[in-house]
Amino acid sequence: MKAIVSFAIAIGIAAFATVLASYAILTRELNQGYLATNPASATLRTDAIDDALLAAVAKTSGVRDVEAARVVSGRIKGGANGWRNLVLFVVKDFASVRVGKINPEGGAWPPATGEILIERDAFQVARVKLGDVVTVRTANGPERRVRVSGRVHDVGQAQARMENMVYAYATLATLEQLGERPYFDQLKIVADSMDKSRIERVAGDVTKVVESRGHKVVHTDIPPPGKHPHADIMGLLMLMLAAFGLFVMLLSGAIVVNLLTAIMAAQIRQIGVMKAIGGTRWQIARIYFAQALRLGAFAIVIAIPLGIWGSRMLCRAMAVFLNFDITSFAIPAWVFACVVFVGLVIPLLAAAWPVWKGSGVSVREALCDFGISETSFGVSALDRMLAGVSGVARPILLAIRNNFRRRARLVLTVLTLAAGGVFFMTALNVRASMIHTLDRLFGTRKYDLGVSLRADSDAGTVTRIVRGVPNVKYVEAWRISGDPYAVIAVPPSTRLLAPGVIRGRWLQPGDVDAMVINSALAAKKMPLAHVVGVVREPFAPASAYVPLRGSVTNSLRVVLANNDAASIDRAKGLIEEALAREGIRAGSISSKSDSRFGFDQHMVMIYVALIIMSALIAIVGGLGLMTTLSINVLERRRELGVLRAIGATPRTIALMLACEGVVVGVLSWLLASVAAWPLSRLVGNGLLMMVLRSGLDFDFELRGVAIWLVVCVLLGAIASVVPSWHASRQQVREALGYE
Amino acid sequence: MIKLHDVSKSYATPAGSFTALRKLDLEIQPGELVAVVGKSGSGKSTLLNMLGGIDTPSTGTVTIANTQLRVLGENKLAAWRGRNIGFVFQFFQLLPALTAAENVMLPMDFCRSVAPRERRKRAIALLERFGVGAQADKLPAALSGGEQQRVAIARALANEPPVVLADEPTGNLDSGNANAVLDLFRDMASNGTTVVIATHDRDVARVIDRTIELADGTVTR
Repeated sequence: MKAIVSFAIAIGIAAFATVLASYAILTRELNQGYLATNPASATLRTDAIDDALLAAVAKTSGVRDVEAARVVSGRIKGGANGWRNLVLFVVKDFASVRVGKINPEGGAWPPATGEILIERDAFQVARVKLGDVVTVRTANGPERRVRVSGRVHDVGQAQARMENMVYAYATLATLEQLGERPYFDQLKIVADSMDKSRIERVAGDVTKVVESRGHKVVHTDIPPPGKHPHADIMGLLMLMLAAFGLFVMLLSGAIVVNLLTAIMAAQIRQIGVMKAIGGTRWQIARIYFAQALRLGAFAIVIAIPLGIWGSRMLCRAMAVFLNFDITSFAIPAWVFACVVFVGLVIPLLAAAWPVWKGSGVSVREALCDFGISETSFGVSALDRMLAGVSGVARPILLAIRNNFRRRARLVLTVLTLAAGGVFFMTALNVRASMIHTLDRLFGTRKYDLGVSLRADSDAGTVTRIVRGVPNVKYVEAWRISGDPYAVIAVPPSTRLLAPGVIRGRWLQPGDVDAMVINSALAAKKMPLAHVVGVVREPFAPASAYVPLRGSVTNSLRVVLANNDAASIDRAKGLIEEALAREGIRAGSISSKSDSRFGFDQHMVMIYVALIIMSALIAIVGGLGLMTTLSINVLERRRELGVLRAIGATPRTIALMLACEGVVVGVLSWLLASVAAWPLSRLVGNGLLMMVLRSGLDFDFELRGVAIWLVVCVLLGAIASVVPSWHASRQQVREALGYE
Repeated sequence: MIKLHDVSKSYATPAGSFTALRKLDLEIQPGELVAVVGKSGSGKSTLLNMLGGIDTPSTGTVTIANTQLRVLGENKLAAWRGRNIGFVFQFFQLLPALTAAENVMLPMDFCRSVAPRERRKRAIALLERFGVGAQADKLPAALSGGEQQRVAIARALANEPPVVLADEPTGNLDSGNANAVLDLFRDMASNGTTVVIATHDRDVARVIDRTIELADGTVTR
C-alpha cells in the first residue's frame, strides 16, 4: 500500500519536475537559440537601399550592425499540389548573414540563381522535397519554375505548419528571375542595447539618416528586445503546466492524508502504550512524520528520472512548436533542489493533520479502542438514509454503504478522481467549443473562396471574368483597406456575410456612412464615428464593415457550385488564369479551410495537452482509489473474515470490492460531470485567451461524460484488483482474529 | 455427525512451531449441545475453526455430515460452510452497514438457499423467533449487545445449518442476556441442530449435553 502511495506521489512530483525542468531548459535554450541568430532590434521599411545608405546607417550612433533585406509575398506550387502561400526572404549574401541568421541543414548553401532554400518545417506545408522543381509566383512577377536546392532552419520564424505558410530564401538574382525588381527595401538594424526605449531612439536616428538621403521610411517594427516571437506564449503555457504539476502533487497529497489517517487509526493502541510508558506527543508524531518523509523520499527517487525523461519529451515537443533546436537538456541544480524540497514537504504537510490528531489521543482513549473495524455506522442521518436504500443485491448494497463509513476518505478519493474527470471533460469541451466557435465564425462567411487582387480593379469587369469561370456560382466584389484596423467595404445587401450582431444592427441598403465594427475592434475602445452595430467575430483581427461605394474593388468573394477540396483547388487555378488573361493579378486566393488550418493546429496542441493532463490525474486518482480500497480491506479484515465464514466465496468478496471501487468511480463521475460545465467553460476561455486572444462559444460535449463514466467504472474495477487479491489471500482464521 | 480422527494442528511462529491440537479423536452426534472448555490457548478456538472449515488440520481428518473438509477447495468450502455451519462470535460481528434483517439475509444471498422473495420473510421470522423482530430494520449501531447477539444467532440459522459453532457467545453479554442466549442454543439443539460452544462461562452447564475439556491441545475430559 505504501508503494502505491509512493508511486502516486512520484507521479505528482514527476509532473512538477517535468514542468520545472522544461521551463529551465526552454527559457535558456529559446533565448540562447534566438539571440544566437543576432535578431534585428528594429526593422525599417523604406524604398530601394543602396550601399551608400547602408554605410551611412552603419555609422549611426547606437547601431551595432545593419543589413539590407527584402521580404516578398507570393505563392508556391509543387507538382500536382495546390498553391500555398509563400513568404520569400531575399538575402544579400548567404555567405555572410549577420542579422537574423539562418542555418543550413542540407542541400545547397548558398542557393544558385534560380534556386530557393526552404525552411525545414515548411517542407511539409509545401509538400515538396529537396531537388524538386516548383512553381513560384510573386506579387509582381509571372509564374516561374525554380529548384528547391536546400533546407534551412530559421529560428526567428514560427512553425510553418502552424501558420500554414511556406518560408523560402533566395538571392537577389533569383528574385529578379522571378520577375520582381531587384532591390532591398528593409533595413534590419541591431542596436547596442536591449533596452526598448534606447532601440526606439536608435530607430528614430536611423530614420532621420534615411530620410536625410531622400528615402522615405514607411514602417518601423520594433519587436520585444531579445525575446523570441513566441516566448510569451511559451511562458504562459509553462505557467499553466506548472500549475497543473502542483495540482497533481496536491492530489497525491490527498492520498497521503488517507494513508496516514488509516495508519494512525490502526496503531492507536500502540500509540496509547507508547504514551503510557512516557512517550510525548511530539516524540510519537515524529515517528509518523518520518514515515511520511520516507514516502516522499522514495517517491523522489522514482520521480527524478521520470521528470528528466518527461522534460525531454516536453522540450522536444515545445521546440518543434516554437521551431528551435535544443542544444543541451542539462537541468540546473536549482530545479533538483526545488523538486526534492517540494517532494519532501508535500507529504509532510499532508501528514500534518492526521499525525498531529492521531498522536494527540489520550492514553485512556487509545487503550479502550476496540479496533478500527468497530466504526459506528448507523449513527448519522446519512447512515440511516443509506440504510433505507434497497432494491439492489445485498453484496452491492453492502459495497455502497461501506464506502460511506469513512467519509473524509471517500471525499478525498472522489475529489482526486473527479479532478481527472474534470480535466478530461474540459479537454473534450474545449475541443468541441473551439470547433463550434470556428464553425460559427466560418458559418457567417457564406463563400468558398476569397480572392485578393494586387491592385484596385473595376468591380464589374472582375466580377464578370470570375463569374465566367466553370463551377463559379456567385461572385461579390468587396474592397479591403485600412490601418490600424481593416476596413471592409461590402455591398450593404451582401449575401455572403451574416455575422452575429451583438449590439445595434448590421448594414442595410441605403446606408451611406454607417459602420459596423467587430468585437476585436470594439475591445480597442477607439473613438469611431457612425458605428451602428457590433458583430461577434472570434479570432478575427480588428475590422470594420462599411457600405461599398463606387465600382472599385480589390477583393472578391466567390461561391462555388461544388465545394469539395478538389473542386476548390481547381477553381483557384482557373480563377487566377482567367484574371491573368485579362491582365489582372490575383494576390492570393484562399479557401475557408486554408484560413481555418492555423486555428485547428493551435487547437490540437491545447487538446493534446489537456488529454495528457487528464490521463496523469486519472492515474493518480486510480492509485488513490487503489490505496483507499487497500486501506478498506485492511481495516475490514475481520469483517471480510466473517463474510467468508458465513459463506462468501473469494469471488464474491472480489465482486464486492470491485463494486466499492465502481461506486467511488461513479460518485467521482457525478461530481466531475457537474463541475465540468463551469470549470471547462472557465478553463477553455482562459486557455483560448492565452493562446488565441479570443473567447469561446461554449459547447458541452456529452460524449465526454459518457466516456468518462466508462473510464471511471473501469478504473474502479481495476483499482480493486490488488486489494481483492490481498483479501482473497487472507486466511479466514487470521482475518477473524484480526483487531 | 461430526467426526475428528487423529487431528493435530501446528503453527509456525517466530518463536518456533506451536502445536494447538494434538492427535485429537472426537465424535459429536446430531442434535447434541456440546461445550468446549479450557484455559486460554488450550485449543478451543482452533478446534472450532477445524469444525467450521475455517482452518485445516496439519494431520488427521475432519468429517462433517459425511463430507471430508480437506478435499474441498476454497470456493466449495465457502459454499459448504454457508449451508452447513452457522457461526456465532463473541463480539457478534454483525456487518455494521447492513440492517438486522439484511445481516440475516446475507448468508441466504451467498448460498442461494432460499428464493429471493422469501429471504426477508424468513429473516423476519428468525428475528421474531429470537425476540428481535421489532429491530429488523435497524442498523447494528442502534442495537444493544444482547439484541446484536440474538441477530447474530438468527444469522447463524439463516440457511438452517445442521451445525452451529459459537465462540464465547456470552463473553460480551450481561448475565440476563447470556442466560437468554444459552436458552436459545438449547432450543436449537432440541430441534435437531448440533451446537458446539467454546466458552469460559460456567452457567453453560445448565443447558449442555456434554463437556469437552481441552488442555494443551488434548482432550482431558
